[in-house]
Amino acid sequence: MAIDEAVDTIRTYIDNDTDGISYPVLIDADHLLTELYAISNVPSVLLIDGDDTIVQPNWNAYATDTFTEFHGIDSSAQLDAIRRWVLDGETMMAPDEVRDAVDDLSDDEEQARLHFRLATHLRNRGDEDGSERNFERACRLAPYDFTIRRASMPLRGGNPFGDEFFELVAEYVEAGAPYHGVQHSGRRA
Amino acid sequence: MGYRPAMTHAQIAILDSGPVVESSSLPELLGWTLKPEGLCRDERCVIVPDRSALESNGSVDLREVAALLDRPVAVDDVAGLVAVGAERWQRRDALHDLRAPDFRLPDLDGTFHALSDHRSKKRLLVAFSSW
Repeated sequence: MAIDEAVDTIRTYIDNDTDGISYPVLIDADHLLTELYAISNVPSVLLIDGDDTIVQPNWNAYATDTFTEFHGIDSSAQLDAIRRWVLDGETMMAPDEVRDAVDDLSDDEEQARLHFRLATHLRNRGDEDGSERNFERACRLAPYDFTIRRASMPLRGGNPFGDEFFELVAEYVEAGAPYHGVQHSGRRA
Repeated sequence: MGYRPAMTHAQIAILDSGPVVESSSLPELLGWTLKPEGLCRDERCVIVPDRSALESNGSVDLREVAALLDRPVAVDDVAGLVAVGAERWQRRDALHDLRAPDFRLPDLDGTFHALSDHRSKKRLLVAFSSW
């Protein structure tokens, strides 16, 4: 699920995947899932049982070690945990822990998602002022939410891998790293 | 009134020309119909405590309708655009009852897929991005 409207970029990921992709890759340009599941950053991985029970919520997990130098996460332990769930039904967290892992969105965070949606919509119809007005408002309402602030960077002419990203990370850490989910290997933020 | 839905979705909507719309457009805009028994979708109805306060001259304020449906609203007065979010109980289901809310999204070819298409299977969802 790409929390993204850059469809062509997502397509290059799939075209460049030499292993082939056997699962659906979906485009969530309106960030519906960040509202429904209180997702606040990517990657966020959820494990859902056959009866629709969430057994692992909003987990900061990785399939490769491409960014391990930056975040310090070892992907192989996470992949092993996923295999144990698939093969043996072994879960990483008790239901109470799952329940405690993700705080509900604040009213501001909820409003920020709607203003982000208005901003991308206005941008797509060429209303730059209207778009900027709503991006600015969304970022003010949810200053530590990466699905708002970082996601808005390329849409506002910025660079989500540039200085402004590292400034956001510094602000986020300074604010106590607020995150809706399970950071690293099972520990809560 | 000349408004039109700029974009509709199973669960969210962004609407042109401000928060007052004709009642008859609600099914198209939000998926709910204003009936004598309340606001209804399929077999489900939400009671409207004061119909005359909600509707006047065949029009309703979307903010009032959204409040009855427990959906958040954001309005951009300058652009005359309204965003209506998802029903909050869906996120509460996820966070408190650990029930995964269903959703429908398009793939790269525009074909829609729902989480419920794969019910009874274990599912691994990855939220990722290019940013």
